[in-house]
Amino acid sequence: MKNLNLLLAGVFFTVAAAWSGLLITSQVQLGALGRAPAEEGGPLFPAREPGLAIQGRLVYQDLGCVACHTQQVRPAGQGSDIARGYGVRPSVARDYVLQPQVLLGQHRVGPDLANYGARAKSDAELAAFLAAPATGVNHPPYAFLTAERSTALVAYLKSLRQDYSSPEAKLKQ
Amino acid sequence: MSQDNRNGRPQGRPPQGGAPRLSRTEAGLRTPFLGFFTSAVLWLVVASVLALVAAVKLHRPGFLGSCELTTYGRVAAAAQDVFVYGWGFNALFAVNFWLMAQLGRFEFRNGWLATLGGATWNLALTYGVVQILRGQLGGFALLDLPREVGPVLLLAFLLSALWSVVTYARRPSGHHFASQWYVIGATFALPIVFLLAQLMVLWFPTVGTVQALAHTWFVQNLMVLWFGASTLAATYYFLPKVLGRPLSHYYLAPIGFWTLFLFAGWSSPAGLLGGPLPIWLQSVGVVASVMSIIPVVITGINFYATLAVDGGWSRAWNSTTLRFVVVGVVSFTLFGVLAAVFSTRDFSAVLRFTSFDQGQQQLLTYGALTMTVFGASYFILPRLTGSLWPSAKLVHLHFWASFLGLLIAVGAALVGGWQAGHLLADAAVPAAQASAISLGWAAAAGSLAAILFLVGHVAFALNAFGMILSSTTPTSEGRQD
Repeated sequence: MKNLNLLLAGVFFTVAAAWSGLLITSQVQLGALGRAPAEEGGPLFPAREPGLAIQGRLVYQDLGCVACHTQQVRPAGQGSDIARGYGVRPSVARDYVLQPQVLLGQHRVGPDLANYGARAKSDAELAAFLAAPATGVNHPPYAFLTAERSTALVAYLKSLRQDYSSPEAKLKQ
Repeated sequence: MSQDNRNGRPQGRPPQGGAPRLSRTEAGLRTPFLGFFTSAVLWLVVASVLALVAAVKLHRPGFLGSCELTTYGRVAAAAQDVFVYGWGFNALFAVNFWLMAQLGRFEFRNGWLATLGGATWNLALTYGVVQILRGQLGGFALLDLPREVGPVLLLAFLLSALWSVVTYARRPSGHHFASQWYVIGATFALPIVFLLAQLMVLWFPTVGTVQALAHTWFVQNLMVLWFGASTLAATYYFLPKVLGRPLSHYYLAPIGFWTLFLFAGWSSPAGLLGGPLPIWLQSVGVVASVMSIIPVVITGINFYATLAVDGGWSRAWNSTTLRFVVVGVVSFTLFGVLAAVFSTRDFSAVLRFTSFDQGQQQLLTYGALTMTVFGASYFILPRLTGSLWPSAKLVHLHFWASFLGLLIAVGAALVGGWQAGHLLADAAVPAAQASAISLGWAAAAGSLAAILFLVGHVAFALNAFGMILSSTTPTSEGRQD
């Protein structure tokens, strides 16, 4: 502990060991993941986001929605996400490979949105809800959103789907 | 309030007639210390206001609802960033700097470089927070400042904090102490972690959920290796110093230091249990989290055994500095125990995504770090300014408002999270029933705590700025301590 160089080397080793052990190995394991069919010859998933949804993703980020909404469905036995209807299967790493910045979220003040597109209301209803949530619903009103931004946000929310089979998480027939 | 100051004022060396006489060590760091400290306190007040707005918006979503600048997501992110990067970093620059100069008997001659670093840090942070409120925020807490701010913050950190390493390298004697290891370790680890996280999340984003893992790894290191280690550094110094006795079982301290650094990073996947990551990563995180109890036990032995001798608890309660520091010690222990116990799969299945982990984090960032820094300020400022604290009543108000705010905030987050988590775990219970807790009494209690924090912080700011403004220019000769 007296020798500064040894102290610094020790600290560097502890930080580097965790970084390489966790992050480099997971990058090696997951970094090559791409879109894939659940079965040979099937359609590739996850689907690419439409252009409007890409704009809506930016609105979602700008408003800070991630502070209250997660986008990850945990497996049965690890929370009640599937039983509660947040998803039909657990989220897997492949579901996020096309996202430039994943928005997993850490707190659920509101419901999980990973598979929201599969249970969403109509565009008009969703836009009306965002502008003026019903009384008694604890959601902030976003009446200040322009029609363009509101439409983009709705498109993004409706694009959120994890109801397809993937090689790691097949849907039960 | 203090055994060495019977008139009820907080302790601190009173002026000895005329300008205060500083040791050479103190004279060199007075300007940079006061620069960091005043910045920290200003940021703390700003963070308190933002946190109050966010707390009210949580259960009154219509509050300031017509203004896009003040959506809950933006205000909550700004409040957290201001608290962590504005208050936490500036305060630790100041306290770590002072600790290293004192322990190393180092005469600091290039204070302008550290002051320049501090000014750069604050300007970059101001820009970043304004951008967050304007809507340019990312999806990862504490990495949500615009990415162009990152390199500036890194440069400012190197200018501001790396002097701690210099003071250790150039200390005249070979003397070394636990506080120095912790400051060196924290100061050396943080920029490496910050740089790697910036690269992997913001500049060259890794694929998919590896970003989330990199973010969790960053936050865990920030919390434990920067905030936690720096808090321990201050505690290792002030506890024996003010009590006037050596630390009990000090020979265990190196084990505590190395195990803290060894397990901190590995434990980060425990925050992603059940998430879209390989199972082996999650298991490693749980094992490392449980192992992280080792440094908590060792620091606990060092601190509680020292306090247990010769009326230590009572003397600590009667000392302004130690009253805050002891709250920090207990908070750190609670944080460590909760982190180890509740990182397991069964608990995570129930408590993840609730306010429970916010309560845990608040135990570290407020209970341990902030309270310890408050205690350190009551010790250091009178020595550097040569003045007494202007108002003993404000000191009492500061302590009780902060302490009660901490109890209410952490209690509401833990209990509210526990109740809501158990309701949510049962799919037959409507989610609205759980929301009635997390957005009902728990959120209202959070608002009450935010008001108490604001009151306490304003009292502290008034007292501190009154003291600094009333201080005279010190002489740099005479005292050798």
